[in-house]
Amino acid sequence: MLNYFDVELSDEERLVQRTTRDWIDAEAMPLIAECFEAGQFPAQLIPRLAELGLLGASLPKYGAGLPYSCYGLICQELERCDTGLRSFVSVQSSLCMYPIYTFGTEEQKERYLPKMVRGELIACFGLTEPDHGSDPSSMETRVEPDGDGWVLNGTKMWITNGTIADLAIIWARSPDGIRGFAVETDTPGFSAREVHHKLSLRASVTAELHFQDVRLPGSAILPGTTGLGSALKCLNEARFGIAWGTVGAAMACFESALEYSKIRPQFGKPIAGFQLTQLKLADMLTAITQGQLLALQLGRLKDSGRLRPVQVSVAKRANSMMALEVARTARTILGGNGISLEHPIFRHMVNLETVITYEGTHEIHSLVIGQDLTGLAAYS
Amino acid sequence: MNIIVTIKQVPDPDIPPIHFKVDEAAGKVVPPPGVAPVMNGYDANALEAALKLKEAHGGRVTAITLGGQEARDTLKRAVAMGADAAVLIDDPNLREGDSFTTATALARAIEKVGEYDLILCGRQASDTDAGQVPLGLGEILGLPTISPVIAIESTNGGVKAHRMIEDGQQVIEAQLPAVMAVSSEIGEPRYPPLRGIMMAGRTQIPVWTAADLGLDDGSAAPKVQLRRLYIESREQACELVDGDTPEEIAAALAQKLREAKLI
Ligand SMILES: Cc1cc2nc3c(=O)[nH]c(=O)nc-3n(C[C@H](O)[C@H](O)[C@H](O)COP(=O)(O)OP(=O)(O)OC[C@H]3O[C@@H](n4cnc5c(N)ncnc54)[C@H](O)[C@@H]3O)c2cc1C
Repeated sequence: MLNYFDVELSDEERLVQRTTRDWIDAEAMPLIAECFEAGQFPAQLIPRLAELGLLGASLPKYGAGLPYSCYGLICQELERCDTGLRSFVSVQSSLCMYPIYTFGTEEQKERYLPKMVRGELIACFGLTEPDHGSDPSSMETRVEPDGDGWVLNGTKMWITNGTIADLAIIWARSPDGIRGFAVETDTPGFSAREVHHKLSLRASVTAELHFQDVRLPGSAILPGTTGLGSALKCLNEARFGIAWGTVGAAMACFESALEYSKIRPQFGKPIAGFQLTQLKLADMLTAITQGQLLALQLGRLKDSGRLRPVQVSVAKRANSMMALEVARTARTILGGNGISLEHPIFRHMVNLETVITYEGTHEIHSLVIGQDLTGLAAYS
Repeated sequence: MNIIVTIKQVPDPDIPPIHFKVDEAAGKVVPPPGVAPVMNGYDANALEAALKLKEAHGGRVTAITLGGQEARDTLKRAVAMGADAAVLIDDPNLREGDSFTTATALARAIEKVGEYDLILCGRQASDTDAGQVPLGLGEILGLPTISPVIAIESTNGGVKAHRMIEDGQQVIEAQLPAVMAVSSEIGEPRYPPLRGIMMAGRTQIPVWTAADLGLDDGSAAPKVQLRRLYIESREQACELVDGDTPEEIAAALAQKLREAKLI
């Protein structure tokens, strides 16, 4: 792992990082470019992800209960391979297992979590709608009480894992506000359609979900959810992983560019020997190191229970933009080769366009920070 | 079946050789800074074989290493992969020894662990490539020893080992306890699952010194002396063989090769 400032990791953290990296290098790296090109998620990796314990890794009792810093390092290593792979794990772990564990009944936990840890049940998280992205509070998807159950109607858009999910955590407006529901995807009236023509996150499944009079049992509601805040709590868990994952993507781009610069001669010497290239390398290394230190401190704060949500916004916003800028700079070092899928950089670069957009856009996180600093909300 | 696996921590063999330095005065190889050492590859194979036997027949797997405090990392990895216990032998005098020292220290530690049916080692370590320790262990403990082993089966009261020989395999039956030096053909080591890593974090690893093993009397002192450790300097020279026609060039080349007594 790129570790220019001798960041000290615990034995456990080192072992988690190393194990994840070894596995990724052996089994995921060889597949990823082809999957990206074909627009396919490498679903064959799911059983292996589960075997290693990478699904719900920080969940007590059901998962390994790892410290969050370890979960962060896992995200770093997954996204060093591809954002699609990290997104799959983020969605399964942070966006779906976390709310079941936090807001669900014992019965829901027992019904879903063990299978989710084993990768036998895949889940997705539906908050965004075609007409409501940054402003989910105005969502139109709704549930109406019906006998001892509910009826769900509406549409969700841009839903990661949508067509491969067995379970969907759906946020919908009920007579007493926005609530979360565990919706089994084989329920009549539930349909999912894959979003095609994506130029980013091609190795990830993205879907549109449609609910037409979907009848849910009373037990589908996650009783602990109390409004949009509950959904935002899940997103905050996932954003924590993004703050780390993006460091991994940036490391991959930097390492690829550094290596290339040393073996590519122009004007009679390696391009690494030109001052302009060295400036780029120095800038990238510095930015990644800053991002790494930020992620690490984020982990330390979370593990000690002192983390404030706005700090997650700062780190998600800073590190995803950092990674995107590193990717763009790294790409220039590879010249024409930089646009090829033979190298990881362009793939990361286009993936990172999604990363600065989902889980709260760069702009929205600016407003979150702005509100924290000034006490004035500037969303509308 | 209770199994003891001997494990060595070695510099990462994936590091390109040019990054290593040799401290000739100290007689030591200096790996590049910042690259974490790893579990010796064949030892990881041996551990995997032990874990498979344990899964099939029950019992305990104990990992033992002779090394410094940094070797805890490797033992923790062993526990994370599924070993039930781990022991670190850490003593400066023992660490400075040779294969005899290591085999003696491990043998004493194995006796101290007590109940065992099988001792599995890697066939050799990737840093020294000596391959002496398993045979030394067998000698010191007075146990049947088989090397290199590519498959192990448990039989009624004993074991059957498939041993690699030049143009085939030998199948050898042995009484237990026995020592086996394992080769990579036995199977790829598993990745430690995260749950195992959590467990490993909570596992206490006892540290034994030479005194704990009754070896503070110098009885494990090395038998060989390292005279010189150095990187061989290699010279490459290139000579172009000239001539007007291909036939002439070939003839001139043949002449030169004959002069050099190469053909
Ligand atoms: C590949 C991919 C996977 C995704 N996976 C999921 C998923 O699994 N589940 C899920 O629920 N969603 C998912 N999303 C959706 C994602 O969270 C939304 O795209 C994101 O929240 C932005 O919403 P939007 O696309 O509707 O953009 P909009 O909200 O329409 O925003 C468009 C632009 O306007 C800006 N903007 C909006 N409001 C303001 C404001 N008040 N001030 C300043 N600027 C503003 C935005 O920052 C942005 O630049 C995914 C998206 C992608 C691309």
